[in-house]
Amino acid sequence: MPELFLRMMKEEWRIHSTMFGQVSFALFPVMIFGIAFMGSFLLPLLRSAIPSSDLALMTHALFLMLGFMVGGFGLLGNEMMNRRFGQASLLTYSARSLPLSEHFIFLNFVAKDTVYYFFLWVFPFGAGYIAASPFTGTPLFQALLLLLTLVLSFMSGLCVVFLLSALYIRSKRACWLSVLALGAGWGGLAILTGTNPALLFPPFLLYSAFSWSTLFGLCTILAVMFAISIVLFSPETAGTTKHYPNTLAPLIRRVAFLPNPPLVAKDLIDLYRSGIGIGQTLFSFLIPLVVIWFFLSLVGSYLPPHGLLFMFAMITGVIASTMYTWVTEFDAFGSYACLPVAVSTLIRSKIATFSLLQVIPAVFIGLVATLTGERAYILPAVVLCVSISFYAGSVMAWLCGLSPSVLVYDVKVLFTYLILDGVVFAIFSAVAFANPFYALSSVVLFIPGWWCVKAAMKRWDAVDPAGF
Amino acid sequence: MAPVLEVTDLSKVYGDVTAVDHVSLSVEEGALFGLLGPNGSGKTTMIKILTGQIRPTGGSATVLGLNVEREGLRVRERVGIIPEQESPPSFLSAMEYLEFVGAVRKIPDIPERAERWFDLLEFGDKKHVLCKDLSRGTRQKLMFAQAFIHEPVLALIDEPLINFDPIMQDVVKDYLADYVRSGRTIFLSTHILEVAEELCSSFAILHRGRLLHSGPIADLAEKGLHLPEFFLSLVRKG
Repeated sequence: MPELFLRMMKEEWRIHSTMFGQVSFALFPVMIFGIAFMGSFLLPLLRSAIPSSDLALMTHALFLMLGFMVGGFGLLGNEMMNRRFGQASLLTYSARSLPLSEHFIFLNFVAKDTVYYFFLWVFPFGAGYIAASPFTGTPLFQALLLLLTLVLSFMSGLCVVFLLSALYIRSKRACWLSVLALGAGWGGLAILTGTNPALLFPPFLLYSAFSWSTLFGLCTILAVMFAISIVLFSPETAGTTKHYPNTLAPLIRRVAFLPNPPLVAKDLIDLYRSGIGIGQTLFSFLIPLVVIWFFLSLVGSYLPPHGLLFMFAMITGVIASTMYTWVTEFDAFGSYACLPVAVSTLIRSKIATFSLLQVIPAVFIGLVATLTGERAYILPAVVLCVSISFYAGSVMAWLCGLSPSVLVYDVKVLFTYLILDGVVFAIFSAVAFANPFYALSSVVLFIPGWWCVKAAMKRWDAVDPAGF
Repeated sequence: MAPVLEVTDLSKVYGDVTAVDHVSLSVEEGALFGLLGPNGSGKTTMIKILTGQIRPTGGSATVLGLNVEREGLRVRERVGIIPEQESPPSFLSAMEYLEFVGAVRKIPDIPERAERWFDLLEFGDKKHVLCKDLSRGTRQKLMFAQAFIHEPVLALIDEPLINFDPIMQDVVKDYLADYVRSGRTIFLSTHILEVAEELCSSFAILHRGRLLHSGPIADLAEKGLHLPEFFLSLVRKG
């Protein structure tokens, strides 16, 4: 076990350090530490507007989502590495060549993901908060408790994704039923206790009122979920000879109004047939947004009227911008090496596919506005959401070209991305809070967005594409 | 005959590794040119530079009169390429991939052309199977078909026979021989010397990025030499 575990840790480190350099990647946890350390000094200011318990709840939500993302990425890693580096193979998929069982390998994989990302994200964040505690007057016990409960939040996200994906491979119906059961159970508990469901999130409960029995109960639940995942785990099945009808040609005709129809049609088929479209919509879009909605609804009273809808529309926009990674992460320029296709052409076609996918956040925000009785504000909320998404997606294209999902760990890239998006987020929060209909002005974001796309095409045509 | 491909003092450096080291050579129209060398000698890097996929660090190259650095896209429009790794898109079927290539290259009559390739390379039963579910050999057939489906005047092919069984190797060798007989040119990279000796009209040997030899195969026969022993003696000398 230690041998395989250590080699998987080394493999994960090498994947990241190969992509963007050892120093740049090593600086990533330092940056997280710095953000947490400096952010701690802003807490007294924030507490005057939002109760500290709500701030803690939102931090737990962030780490829950981090767990979702890490779990999803890890399970798709082999396909992604193959696309990026050609015939890559990860230790996780070595059951066929090593005398080790699939379940044993998966157990090591789970342990590796937990420890690796603990040191990459969770520990630096907690350590920053702990290091600042003597200066901010936060009791050391509370800071240490936060570190513990953030780890548990992160692990909750990981084990939910592992469990659902293990179920999904065995039986799609069982997976969907489990999602429904989980939602119904949590919702039912919220109705019975008359509490916002977000407040029933176990790691947050532990943070709010520590007890050894709660800690033990939570660890047991997580261990049981991991154990079920490991038992149910089954690696990708070998190749099949299933025959598919020819859908490319008709699809090319349908998307003929977009630039580079063959490339857009191929992307859409990739999303559909790989299951990425549905999987990502569920794990990277709907579930995080539902969780965010619950957590955000707690701060609704601190926002101006209709502020919650518009804040949510902007967050949805930011999350929807990651759809650019959906259309790029399983594709590398190597697949096009034998065709007369430039990197700029690919970026343009990816942006076209990304734009088509914006129907999902638009419909989602429309539904949210309808369900919350704010139908009058559907148009400005949808415009704000889609404009933010297009802008953030274009910034991503400019900064990362065709490799957004790997360059996110480059400190310089991430910092620039956060600054460029943060400024726009702050400006349009103020604009939308002043008057909901002013949010319509966010259409101006399409101008810098389009500039970023143009700059991306020029910038990434000038360098040798990754994957060669 | 006019050269269709000309390389002058070409170099490519990756960090502290020199993959191609001041190489100069030319390939005439109608030749079946073999670029030979051991693993890691720089053959694949040469093909990538010549098809405008990566930029040279030094020197220059022209393919069909086009500068590969400035006009790489136009080079890829006009030539056929088989890359080192057979990597058709995972979630398109074999037929869809050829249709995709046809749509990108704007080739008419793709279904008819595709059928001819399915027949020639004997994989019509796999045309509606996703590329990710195809065997390596079938993927290689598909990559072969996509490289020649637009009937280019020049094809640059990297280890085209490596995943084929002996019967299919024979089919492909016949096809390549007919291809150059019709006046078109093949630039073939391989380390299978017997194939090169059987097929090529001229050849070059690369080793550690440097050009050790370049010339017609016929010159070897005149000296009573065979390609494998000539190759090994040169490479061992370094």
